[in-house]
Amino acid sequence: MPDERAPDWSGIVREHLHTMDLPAHQAQQVVAELSGHLEDCYKEQIGKGLAESQAYQTTLNELFAMRRLAKKIQQAKRKGELMNPRTKQFWLPSLVSLATAMGSLMILILISLQPRFLGRSPLQMVLLPWLALLPFCGAAGAYLSRRGGARLPARLVSGLFPMIVLFSVVGILIVTHFIVLARPHLPFISIWIALGIVLPSVALLLGTAPFLKATKSKGIA
Amino acid sequence: MKRIRSQIARGSAELAILALLAEESLYGFEISKRIEERTSGALHFTLASLYPMLYDLEKRGLIAGRWEANPAGRDRRYYSLTPAGKKELAPLRREWSFFFQALDRLAGVSNA
Repeated sequence: MPDERAPDWSGIVREHLHTMDLPAHQAQQVVAELSGHLEDCYKEQIGKGLAESQAYQTTLNELFAMRRLAKKIQQAKRKGELMNPRTKQFWLPSLVSLATAMGSLMILILISLQPRFLGRSPLQMVLLPWLALLPFCGAAGAYLSRRGGARLPARLVSGLFPMIVLFSVVGILIVTHFIVLARPHLPFISIWIALGIVLPSVALLLGTAPFLKATKSKGIA
Repeated sequence: MKRIRSQIARGSAELAILALLAEESLYGFEISKRIEERTSGALHFTLASLYPMLYDLEKRGLIAGRWEANPAGRDRRYYSLTPAGKKELAPLRREWSFFFQALDRLAGVSNA
């Protein structure tokens, strides 16, 4: 027990509450608040004339059943919430970016099939408008993920989630190309990779990037 | 006075917190100390019993917490009663009053 300096209550609380599954910003606030409480208890004991080691031990008694406390806090904070953090921070935002990206692609394809647009190139009718829309799809995913309290990797993956589908589609096309043709046409493959993976990835990343910055904390320990 | 360690204490904790916050905004440690002082130690909150209750009341919209800078040390999270909390407090007081009157009629607790 550290007698010469004040105990690190934040560290102690964080260690005891490691099982608590809350979004990072919420967990940080809980740790700050509980460690402040313990510090007040400790100072009160010192004020009563207890030796530092006794005051430390008495304060530590407040942490009795901390594992149960972690669960109780988690339940209290989450009461009424429909989704668990993983769903809120990752799965729902990813689904939104995927659905908007694929939905907009389908709508553009359907529009391009209208008789009045039949003369126009797919590049002009589908690809360019879609690339213009993709940053918004990525932004939607990353924004929802950040709002759910997710950390940077989850926000990034949520914004870029449609790439999983695009990788699969382009991958299948390339494999099929190699199977069907005796002499695969490498320029075609390069174009598929560029138009189907690289450009959409860049577009999604453009929308995702603004939401990758760290959010401002409330200035707590 | 012996500490009341029963369902009554747990049930009354909500009333105690709301009633206290109806007077002024307080932070967690202050809430526990005030309750202990005012009840001569009959009601005692530990860290493990106080904060889950505060977070629960906050989640239900009865109290609101906000961080305030503390020049002397750590920032404090002050809790105050919300309009919904004020609305909840009046019937809660009546219910408890009714409960104690009923108990008194039955067991004469006020003469004990």
